[in-house]
Amino acid sequence: MLLENLKTALEALFGNRLRSLLTLSGVVIGVFAVTTTISLGQIATAGITGELQAFGAQSLFVSRIFDDPTSEPFSDDDIDALSRLPIEILRQRSTNVWAVADEERVRLGLNGTTANAPQIDRTIDLDRGRFFDEGDAVRGAPVIVLSADAAEELYGGAATAVGRELVIETSGGNRSFYTVIGVKKRISGALGAFANDLSGDVPLESLYRDVPGLTRGRYDFMPITIALDRDASAIERQVRAILDRRRDPESYQIQSIEGALSLFNTITVILQALLGGIGGISLLVGGIGILNIMLVSVTERTREIGLRKALGAKPRTILQQFLIEAVVLTVIGGLAGVALSIASLWAVVAAVPFLDVFVLNPWVIALALGVSVATGVIFGVWPARRAAALSPIEALRYE
Amino acid sequence: MADAVATAPAPATVPSVAGPHGGDTVIAARGLRKTYVLGGGVEVHALRGLDLDVRRGEYAAIMGPSGSGKSTLLQILGCLDLPTSGSYVLAGDEVATLDEDALSTIRNQRIGFVFQAYNLLGRATALDNVALPLLYRGLPLRERRARALEALERVGLGDRTHHRPNELSGGQKQRVAIARALATEPDILLADEPTGNLDSRTGDEILGLFDDLHQEGRTILMVTHESDVAEHCERIIRIRDGVVEASEAVAQRRRPGHAEPAPTGA
Ligand SMILES: Nc1ncnc2c1ncn2[C@@H]1O[C@H](COP(=O)(O)OP(=O)(O)O)[C@@H](O)[C@H]1O
Ligand SMILES: [Mg+2]
Repeated sequence: MLLENLKTALEALFGNRLRSLLTLSGVVIGVFAVTTTISLGQIATAGITGELQAFGAQSLFVSRIFDDPTSEPFSDDDIDALSRLPIEILRQRSTNVWAVADEERVRLGLNGTTANAPQIDRTIDLDRGRFFDEGDAVRGAPVIVLSADAAEELYGGAATAVGRELVIETSGGNRSFYTVIGVKKRISGALGAFANDLSGDVPLESLYRDVPGLTRGRYDFMPITIALDRDASAIERQVRAILDRRRDPESYQIQSIEGALSLFNTITVILQALLGGIGGISLLVGGIGILNIMLVSVTERTREIGLRKALGAKPRTILQQFLIEAVVLTVIGGLAGVALSIASLWAVVAAVPFLDVFVLNPWVIALALGVSVATGVIFGVWPARRAAALSPIEALRYE
Repeated sequence: MADAVATAPAPATVPSVAGPHGGDTVIAARGLRKTYVLGGGVEVHALRGLDLDVRRGEYAAIMGPSGSGKSTLLQILGCLDLPTSGSYVLAGDEVATLDEDALSTIRNQRIGFVFQAYNLLGRATALDNVALPLLYRGLPLRERRARALEALERVGLGDRTHHRPNELSGGQKQRVAIARALATEPDILLADEPTGNLDSRTGDEILGLFDDLHQEGRTILMVTHESDVAEHCERIIRIRDGVVEASEAVAQRRRPGHAEPAPTGA
């Protein structure tokens, strides 16, 4: 009988394609909207979090207070004092110069740094050529590694930049000839997408030689990398303790990516709540759609219920038929909605550069499917139950 | 079965009827009332304390003016609706005491009902319409098809099995409705103006069919407003204003295919 009823239900579904399609599209839209909005929130969160972690969750950025003239730069002694911690400190000086290529003249941030910078600063990733080595660093070789944007502006692209000559001009009028030995990749994802980073990295020695007025062993920033197995906040406290003994605690600041992360986390929680809310509303709308179609369909079919009862169908058999119809419709619609949602989410992840993690929480699917199947079943079977309780004649007369 | 010939009056397929009202009474109605309450609280008294006894195997016509309660009575006798008050004992069972499932079983197995308005399932073929009550009896598909086809052939629609109701004429729809009532081989057949939409030749065929069914021992109650149709029956029950006004035996029963009444009995 169950099998027969399944057949009857399927026949009814095929027999009334328009109504079936309407119900189906209600379910598809409801499930699609919920799954997509909620998952989008999660994908965005995962994308931003992953971005920040790639940038270096295990790093600290110590800087002097630039607005405060009494805030001294850091010294080699400061770095030595910190060196007993399980950290690596990048010695880096920065200044602004003019960079002149064949046709172009560009304002460039020039960083003097050490040969191990790519190991310490995780954002350094070479696209073309190489970073300078220990030998270049010791000799103060006139070599420069350009940012992707700088290579683009000066030479029209990374491919044509390597091996070319670049003139560095200081504000004092000094001109020095450098060779471009490498081009870095653009910082990936959300953080790099919108910034125009015009900079170049040269050995510290070369910077001191070619840019007069920079005192050796004085640093405005100390980028610090913490070994991944260490507790970053404990290290931060130790750095603070050491520096506080050496200088005024108010004369410097420490920024950690963790701090930034927690801010982003707050934002993404809000984002998720928002999208979750929209998802909830779409679920409600989808549910009302299903409810409406189910109610209409049962009203339409009260006469049919009356006829079936007149021919000897037991109320239980009729309810079974409506239950099967509702379940088949909502499950097919629900699965189609989920499939559509997965396809759209894939497309979004593929199209948006900083969304690179595809997240599909099974709970979201379960919730969307559960609610649509439940509304379909409740509002398909409950009115059918009412109709099946009428006498056949009352049901047949129903307008 | 397509050309069922009158044989023994009670074949083995017809269950025997027994009850407190005597071995011979299959329908016993006492003081049946049916009051419809309209929108504004207006009450329509369709039946006003109607008494009726029908013997097993009887072939009776119900006549009466329009609005006298004929359809209402037939629906109550068919267990399609419940009386507002009064007693209806069907084959020994007081219908008011039966639950939904028992009523479903009665509608499915004991009673064949031909609606005045056919009430066919619009999206199903003639064959599927006729097979529908057999589905609720739990018969396998093959047997349902075979029996439905047989019933359609019996009403002369063996060549219209795959037509949908909207592809059939009024008379053909009526015959599908009759075939559906016959398909379950019920021991009681209730028909509300079954020849109302048929031309006289098809009407005659249907009356011939009813006659065969009567010969098989089935109980038949037929509402009609045509006295020459009613004269095919053994008895005419006249209804007026919701009560039985008169009940008279037909002295000279008409026979299907004969223009003139034929002499009754052996
Ligand atoms: N569902 C209903 N609601 C209200 N009144 C009804 C209903 N069915 C029948 N009636 C009324 O009951 C009376 C008897 O109707 P019915 O049994 O159909 O008469 P008949 O079949 O003899 O023409 C009529 O006055 C009719 O209008
Ligand atoms: Mg009537």
